[in-house]
Amino acid sequence: MADITLNALGKKCPMPILMTKKELKKMSSGQTLELIVDDIGALKDVPALLNRTGDELLESREDREQITFMIKKA
Amino acid sequence: MAETINFIVKDKSFEKFAMMAILGSTGDAMDMKMNFFFTFWGLNLLTKKFKPKVAGMPTPMKGMGAKIFRKRMKKFGIEDPWGLIKDGVENGNLKLFPCQMTMDLMGIKHEDIMEIAEDPVGAAAFLEMSDGGRIVSL
Repeated sequence: MADITLNALGKKCPMPILMTKKELKKMSSGQTLELIVDDIGALKDVPALLNRTGDELLESREDREQITFMIKKA
Repeated sequence: MAETINFIVKDKSFEKFAMMAILGSTGDAMDMKMNFFFTFWGLNLLTKKFKPKVAGMPTPMKGMGAKIFRKRMKKFGIEDPWGLIKDGVENGNLKLFPCQMTMDLMGIKHEDIMEIAEDPVGAAAFLEMSDGGRIVSL
């Protein structure tokens, strides 16, 4: 279970990235964020963002039209 | 030091405006410094009341095209591209520079420029802030 869940279904580039960054900013170190998106571009964009911010991508899974990322705040 | 990308915005189209809003806000989210230098027609984007039109559509549809794009982008969660830009400026990562020479050339006064912009700069100031960094022309 993640500490925070962020629903970005229906949002497209750059919104899932901006929303994720905003949420991560508010979180404290070690907390986890579950991000749910259906923007296929996020598959590449979310890891690219986390490469920059230094936060960790614990898991990503795709089922049907939906992608779920589990992120740990650095 | 944070990575910096410097953009020259030379067109006033809706396309270029949307690109700068999306790239600028994303760069801000990625902790990068994004400088935009608005020159020639691009400076129109920084003037108050200006409404960019879609360059890539036939002439009678350019204005309507921008409205359609805005509406669709709203559905994607982009309420207003200026909102994205403002957030980036407030975070201190995104900076908008009007070109002083273009202002003089086109008779655009300081009060015509949106408050969100930095003070106008010339070519030398822009090149100096870009020194060692990348420059991209939009």
